[in-house]
Amino acid sequence: MLPTPSVTRRPNLRLNAVSAPTETVFHAVLLLFSLFCVVPFLFVVIISFTSEESIRQIGYSFVPQSWSTQAYAYVFRIGDALWRSYFNSFFITAVGTALSVLMTLLYAYPLFRRDFRQRHFFNFLSFFTMIFGGGLVPTYIICKNVLGLSENYAALIVPMLFSPFNVIIMRTFLQTSVPTELIEAATIDGSGEYHTLFRIVLPVVKPGVATVALLNALAYWNEWFLALLYIRQNTDLIPLQYLLMKMQRNADFIAKNSHLLGAEAANVAVNLPSQSLKMALVVLIVVPIACAYPFFQRFVVAGLTIGSVKG
Amino acid sequence: MRKILALLLTLLLTASVFTFATAEAASLTPAELTIMFHGSNVTDDSAVLAKVNEYLKDKINASLKVIWGTWGDFDETSTMSLNAGDPIDMYFTCSWSQDEYNAYAKKGMWVRLDDPDNNLIEKYAADLWATLPQVLTDGAKIQGSDGLGVYAVPGYKDIATQNCWDINVDLLTKYGYTLDDIRNADYYSFGDILKTVKAGEGDSFYPLLVEGMVLERMATNSIIVAGDSGSTNLLSYYMNPTDISAEGPYGNVMLNKFATDEYKKFVEKTREYYLAGYIDPGLAVADTANDLRKNKQLTGQYLIGTQSYSLGYELQASQERNIHVEMVPCTPAYVDTTSSQGAMVAISTASANPERAMMFLNLLNTDPYLMMLLNYGVEGIHYTLNADGLVQFTDKRADYQPWTNGMGNVTLLTPTADQGKDFWDTFKAYYGAAKKIPIIGFTFDASNVQVEQSALVNVAAEYALALDTGAVDPAEKLPEFLQKLSDAGMQTYVDEANAQLTAFLAAQ
Repeated sequence: MLPTPSVTRRPNLRLNAVSAPTETVFHAVLLLFSLFCVVPFLFVVIISFTSEESIRQIGYSFVPQSWSTQAYAYVFRIGDALWRSYFNSFFITAVGTALSVLMTLLYAYPLFRRDFRQRHFFNFLSFFTMIFGGGLVPTYIICKNVLGLSENYAALIVPMLFSPFNVIIMRTFLQTSVPTELIEAATIDGSGEYHTLFRIVLPVVKPGVATVALLNALAYWNEWFLALLYIRQNTDLIPLQYLLMKMQRNADFIAKNSHLLGAEAANVAVNLPSQSLKMALVVLIVVPIACAYPFFQRFVVAGLTIGSVKG
Repeated sequence: MRKILALLLTLLLTASVFTFATAEAASLTPAELTIMFHGSNVTDDSAVLAKVNEYLKDKINASLKVIWGTWGDFDETSTMSLNAGDPIDMYFTCSWSQDEYNAYAKKGMWVRLDDPDNNLIEKYAADLWATLPQVLTDGAKIQGSDGLGVYAVPGYKDIATQNCWDINVDLLTKYGYTLDDIRNADYYSFGDILKTVKAGEGDSFYPLLVEGMVLERMATNSIIVAGDSGSTNLLSYYMNPTDISAEGPYGNVMLNKFATDEYKKFVEKTREYYLAGYIDPGLAVADTANDLRKNKQLTGQYLIGTQSYSLGYELQASQERNIHVEMVPCTPAYVDTTSSQGAMVAISTASANPERAMMFLNLLNTDPYLMMLLNYGVEGIHYTLNADGLVQFTDKRADYQPWTNGMGNVTLLTPTADQGKDFWDTFKAYYGAAKKIPIIGFTFDASNVQVEQSALVNVAAEYALALDTGAVDPAEKLPEFLQKLSDAGMQTYVDEANAQLTAFLAAQ
C-alpha cells in the first residue's frame, strides 16, 4: 500500500525515533502534565457556573447539584466599573508592553556591542538592582513625590518599564543570534546606528523580542500591587486584576479577623462576593491572556531552537 | 468717565457680594482636608461629597477629600502613606489595625490633641469631648511621642464586648428544650443537649458551630490582650466573670494562653465534643472555616454557635437566616482596650492644617446633618425617610456604603427602619452600663520581642485552631505544642508583657 518514497524515508524516521513503549510512556507523562494544567482551570469554569446553593450544600464539585449563570449575571451588573477596568487592563498591557520592550531592546543592544566601552559598568548597574532594592517605602516616595506617579496611568506603567532580568535575556539572545560580522557589514554599507538596530538586528531577534514581550505582557496583565499603592481616589483607573484582588483581600481579611470584628463581620460579609462570583472573575481575567499565548508561542518555540542549529 | 464709573460700580457690587458670602467663615483661609477611612465599600461618592463640601465651606471654609480604604487594603496603604509622609490630614486608627493607635502615637505619627501648649480639643472640639462617654475619653489617653495624652478622637460606637451563645431557637424547641436550659448550663454541661439533637438530626449534622478562638475565650473567660498577635492570640488575661471590674482568678497578670489548667480543661472537653461528632471538622481549617460557618449559619444548620455580640444582632441574624435566633450571654458586657480603642480618627503630623482637621472632626462627631450625609449618603438618593422618620435605604446605597462604626459618633444617626425608633436609647443604656475591666487602657507593645512573636505565631498557627476545635488529641499534641512554644521563646514574650503591665499599673 505504501508508496515507495516512504520506504526510502524510513531510515531517516528511525534515526530520531524512540521505541513504541518509550513513546507511550512519554505521551502518558506529557498527557498527565497537560491535564494538571488544564483541569484546575476547567474546575474554575465549572465552579463559576455552579449555583451558590450547591456550593453551600456539597462544596466545590466537578458535578454540581445545580447549575447557574447567576455569577455572570452579577458580574455584568457591576457594569461600567467592570468594562472600565477591562479597558484599563488592555490599555496598560498594550502600552506597557510596547514601551518596556523598546526600553529593554535599547538597553540590551549597547550591552551586546563589544565596541561599547562602558558596557561592563551599565551591565553591572542593571544587574545590581536585581540583588539590592531600595525597599518599598523609599520606592513609594520616589514614585509618588519625585516622579508624580499617582492617580494616573503612568503610575501603573512606568514602575515596571525596566526589568534587569529581561535585559539579560535580551542581551544573551543578541549575543547568540547576531554575529558581529553582520553589524560590521551593515556599517560598511553605510547603515547608521538606528538603522542597523531597527532594520537589520531587530528582524533577526524577533523571537527574542517576542519572548520579552510575552513576559512583559504577562507581568502587566497580572499586576495589581501598583494600583493598590498609587490609585487611591481615581478609581476609574483600576485594572481588572485589582478589582478581583480587592474582593479577595477583603474576604481574606474578614476570614482572619472575624474573631476581632465580632458581629461586624456578618455585616461586612454581605458585601463580599460569592464563591462562584470570584471564579467567574478569574475566568474573565484568564481568558484574554490565554488567547494571546498561541500568537506568541510560535516565536517562543522559534526562540528555543534558533540558537541550537548554528554550524 | 462713564466707563470708569461703570467699572467701579461693578467692582463694588462684586466685592460686596463676596464679603457677604464669606462672612461666616471669613476669618479662615480656605483649606483642603483629606481623610482615610477603613472598611469602605464605596464606588461613587460624587453626590455626597458635593453636598459635604457645600456644607463645610459655610461652616469651616474647608473642602474634604476622602480616601475610601477597604478591609483588604487599608493596612498596607495607610502605613505606606504614613511612613512616606503623604499629605493626608486624618487617618482611621484603632487597637487592631496596622496603623495601630499606640504604636504610631509613639512613633510621632499622630498630633497630640490635648497638648498643653496647643490644646486643640479645648480650642476647637470642646463640644465633641463633652458628648463622649468617660470610658472612651479615658481609654484614649496613652503614652505617645509628646507625653501622656490623647492622640485621636475615639468613635462612639459599640464600645463593649460581650460574648454570647448564638442559639438556633427553632431547633432547640423542636427537641423540647428552652432558652433557660442554655442559660443555666455552661460550655462544660452542654453535653446532654448536644447529644439529643445530634441523635435526632443525624450523622451529617454538627450542633456546635464554633469559631475556635472565640470559643476558647468564652469557655475560659479570657479576653483579647490589645497589642498581642492579631491572627493568633498568644496571651491570656483572665477576667472575673461575675464582677467585671474586680480582678480575675490569677490577678492582673498575663499568662501563656496555652499553658493554663483552664486551657487544658477546655481543649479536653472540646476534644470530647469533637469525637462525639458535635463539631464539624471543617471548622479546624483556618482558610475555609469562616466560609463554612457563614454557610451553616445561613442555612440554619447548627444548634449552638459562638458570637461576639453587638446590640440588635439577634434580630439581624434571625432575618438573614430565616430562623429564630437568640443570643445567650456568657459574661456581662465589658469594656477593654480593644473595644474602647476599637475605632478612632487621628490627625497626622504630616497634616498642613491640624486646626481645621480638628474643627472638622468636632463637626463630624456633633453635627447630625454632616454625620448622616457622610455615613448614609444624600436623602432622596441613597436613603429616604419613612412615615415614622426612620431611614430606608434605596438601591443607590449599594454604591455608597462606608463603614458606619469606623467614622465617629454613630448615635447621631437617624435610626434605620430595621433598628426601630428607640434604638439609640437602648444602645446608650446597654453600652453605658458596661463595666471596665481592671487593666483597661493597657496595650502590649511587642516591638522588643518581635522575633519571638513571629516565631510563636508560626507555631501557634499550626496547633491552636486544631486544639480549639478538638480536631487533634490534646493528650498528645498539647505537650508537644507547649514544648515548641517554649523553644520559640514563649517565656520571654510573657515576661515582657508582664513587665509592661506592671509598669502600666504602677503609673496609674
